[in-house]
Parts: sequence; structure tokens; C-alpha cells
Amino acid sequence: MAASLPILVEELSKSYPSRMGLRRFPALKNLSFHLEAGEILGFLGPNGAGKTTTMKCLLGLLKPTSGGISVMGHRPGSSGARACLGYVPENPDYDDSLTPLELLRLLAAMRGFDSGERVLKALLARVGLAGWEQTRMKRFSKGMKQRAALAAALLGSPSLLIMDEPTGGLDPAARKEFRDIMLEENSRGASILLSSHILSEVETICSRAVILARGRLVREGSMSSLLSIEDTYRIRASCSGSLVEEDIPTGELQSRIDSLRASGCEIVEVARNYATLEEVFLAATGSDSG
Amino acid sequence: MRGIYYFAVMTLYSLFRRRTVWGVAILTALALAGIASIPAYGLSGGGRFTVDTGLTSIEIGSLVLAIALASGIFPRDRETRIAFPILAAPLSRTQYLLGRYMGTALVQTGFIAVWGAGLVAIIALKGYPMPSDMAGALLLLGVEGCFLLAVVFFFSFWTSPPLNAPLTILLFILSQMSVRDFTGLMPGAEGLMRILRLLLPHMDSFHIKDPVAHGFDVSPVYILLAALYGLAYTAFMLSLARSVLLSRDLR
Repeated sequence: MAASLPILVEELSKSYPSRMGLRRFPALKNLSFHLEAGEILGFLGPNGAGKTTTMKCLLGLLKPTSGGISVMGHRPGSSGARACLGYVPENPDYDDSLTPLELLRLLAAMRGFDSGERVLKALLARVGLAGWEQTRMKRFSKGMKQRAALAAALLGSPSLLIMDEPTGGLDPAARKEFRDIMLEENSRGASILLSSHILSEVETICSRAVILARGRLVREGSMSSLLSIEDTYRIRASCSGSLVEEDIPTGELQSRIDSLRASGCEIVEVARNYATLEEVFLAATGSDSG
Repeated sequence: MRGIYYFAVMTLYSLFRRRTVWGVAILTALALAGIASIPAYGLSGGGRFTVDTGLTSIEIGSLVLAIALASGIFPRDRETRIAFPILAAPLSRTQYLLGRYMGTALVQTGFIAVWGAGLVAIIALKGYPMPSDMAGALLLLGVEGCFLLAVVFFFSFWTSPPLNAPLTILLFILSQMSVRDFTGLMPGAEGLMRILRLLLPHMDSFHIKDPVAHGFDVSPVYILLAALYGLAYTAFMLSLARSVLLSRDLR
């Protein structure tokens, strides 16, 4: 199974030594989750929950204290894992003395891709950097650096994208462009692990989400299962000219509709109750901290 | 090899677009001008003083250049997070180290070559006789420069730049000392100091400026063996640096 999953994390723990090295502070505690092929998985949690630590373990930048990780069936940081992933870091920064075209040209050469100038320019245009190809990145704004980092991650059409808050600090239009690119990459077949604090974005594009708090997994599931509230329906009915709204458990739905009709009410709407991801997130992380 | 080569190219781009290298270039021009203005003292005629001073200046310049170029590379890459996306996808840590080293070593060797050419030009313009082993002396200074660079890289993976400089200078000084002088630093522990001196690099092997300045011949076999020793020790320092880098968490 591990070989078929883009990401498999089993009982992952990571602790950091204190400054004097006398104590260790746990950042992750027995974390287990997986990313299925072709899905976009939302990776959520408050600041300090362990999202970036997990991602750095996946990338081989940090060594787990215990537990197992497989990336595309390979050990994190191995040449097999590195060959098929693209990474967009939080607050990305490349050598700012380079132009984005130079950066892509060198990164493509390092990875052994035979990408011509035209392909690289097209990639830069795709992320919104058309006309900026020959400008040194020291003149770039944060958003433009994020675009350059996205282009670098998309080089060679990787089958796995690990994105750590890729749209943080972008304006709404740019966020939409990034979302569209993620969806395009996903429809091409790329699996995406997306960490973001912009929950509406996660709700829109992710099929599943895991929520971390204090280094532990506190909620996991498909977006529809996370957002549905205890299997209840909301009935809106017009009774004697006034609008009545009631939340009814699924099991009592039919009998309540019948009773409302019997009392002369007109049923206006019956809809399943959904929470927002923000409500789910706050409930999950709040219950853990409390 | 492809990854190392292109990362070395990226390092070259980066170094040449920073002020540090051009600052060193200006200092170089000033130093060469200073050497050129040294008068031919009667006591050290025949340009000996110029050759001796010139080769010593190149050696000191090489030490300063190695620290200026390399001590901040890894700390800066980590601080600015440049290292993370590079190490996440295209490069392994070993490729990162070797790419950065190769790029920096090219700049270091290039500068030593320019300094050497400048010194040779001054000797020629002043009409002094050209020492027969000048090329050998410059070759060994180049090897020493590459070795110093490897030392700076090694320290850079576990110390800060302000600590890297004194550690490198300390090693530079200790490595020039004879066994007798070194054991004299701690007379009570002569055996221990002797072993320690054997383990430390023998950078005095690279110095043939005295015989060169005084017109004595230096065996080509000696120059070759000293160069090989320097390259072997450089490889050893890089392997130590690699071990430190591999064991590090990149937070």
C-alpha cells in the first residue's frame, strides 16, 4: 500500500532539544495520515501545530525522532523522492541576485530536464511573471517571489506537490490564480498536500483534510464528512404567514414534515446542515487545547 | 555531477553579483599597487623582497578571501531559507555542499591566479629575475586556498560566521607551527601535543616562498607531493563537513 500512496505517515514523532540540550520539546506526537493519489489534501492547524515540521520531515529536511514516512514509496530526501516532488515553501526565497528565468534554467538543468527557453518563459507566464523574466528577484515583491517559487515547484510537472501556505500574503486575484493552477495540476494527475490558513480556499479545492493541534491529529476526513453537522436537516416552513426554521435529526425528518403539513404549514425548504470549515477547525483545535 | 555543476554555476552567479567579491578585487588592486611600489632595497636586491612580500600577501589574502566568501554561505542559505527548496527537490545535501564548494573554489582559485599574475607582471616590469619555481609556489598557494576554503565550509556547518573566522585563523596559525613549537605550547603534555600536531594539517608544506625568493631550486616531486597532500586533506575536510551537514536538522 505504501508504494501506491504519494504520502504515508505512520506514528511520526519529532522533538527538538532545548537551547541547552537538557530537555526535548515535542513538536509532533504519533502523527499518522496519508495522501491518496490524485487528491488535494488540506493540511490544517493553528500556528505551532506542527504542519511545517511535518512537511520538513516529508522533504527530508528534518529527521523524525520516531515513526515512518514514505514519499512516493521512497525514503524522504532520497533521490527517488526528490525526483517526483515539487515544493512551495512558506515565505519562499531563492537567491535574489538571479532572475526568475536564470533560476528556472539552473533548476531545470540540476534536475536533468531538457527545458528550452520557450518552455520556461511559458511557465513563468503561467504563474503571472510574464515580462519579469529578466528582472533580478531582489526587486520582486513577496507575491512575485511566491509566483517564482510556484514556477520552480511546477518544473517538470511533478506528481506530488507539497505546498506550505502558498497563497499567504497574496491578494484575492492572485490567490484565485494560484487555486486555478493547483486545480489544473490536480486534474493533470498531481497529488497535492496543501497547508493553508485560508480555510475558504481549502474548503473550495480540497477533497479531504487533516487538522493538527499541538502536534497531534485531531480531525481527519473527507470535506463533506467534516462539514456535515451530526446528520441534521434544516426545515424552513411558512406557517400562517410567518417563516419557521427548525433543525431536525435525520431520523425524525419525515415525521416532522408530515406534522408540519398536517398543521397547515407549507414546506419552503429542506436542506442538510453543513458547518463552515472554520467552525470545524475552531471546534477541533479548541477542544484539543481546552 | 550535473546537479553539482549547475549549483556551482548558481553559486558563481551569486558570488559575482555580491559586493564582497568586488570589495576583495579592489583590495587586491591596492595590494598589488603597494607591492609594486616597494623599493628595491640594496640588502634584498634582485627583487627578493618583492617576491617574498608578494607571496606572503597572496597567502594572507587567500585566508581572508576564504573566510569572506564561505563563512556566511550556509548560515545565510538557512536564514533566508534559500537552502530549503533547493534541498527539498533538486539536490541532495552532498550535492549542495559540493556545488557550493566548487563555485566558491573557482572564485578563490581565480583570485589567486589574478594575484599571482599581478605579482609576475610586477617582477617582469621591474626587471627583476623571475624565480624558477614561481609557478610551483603559486600552485601550492592555490592548493592552500582550496584547503582553507574547505576548513571554512566545515566550520560554517556548526558555527556562526563571527566564530568561524577566529577558528579558521587559529587553525591557520597552529598548522604552520613546527612540532617543537607546538609541543612548547603545553610543555606538561608533550606526548598529547605531539599527537595533536600530527593530526592537524601541515600547512607549512605549502610554503616554498623562502627558497623561491632566494633563488633556490625546489624539487618538482616535492611540489607534486605537497599538492597531493593538500588535495587529500581538502577531501578529508569536505567529508567531515558532509558528515556534519548530513546529521543536521534544517529547521
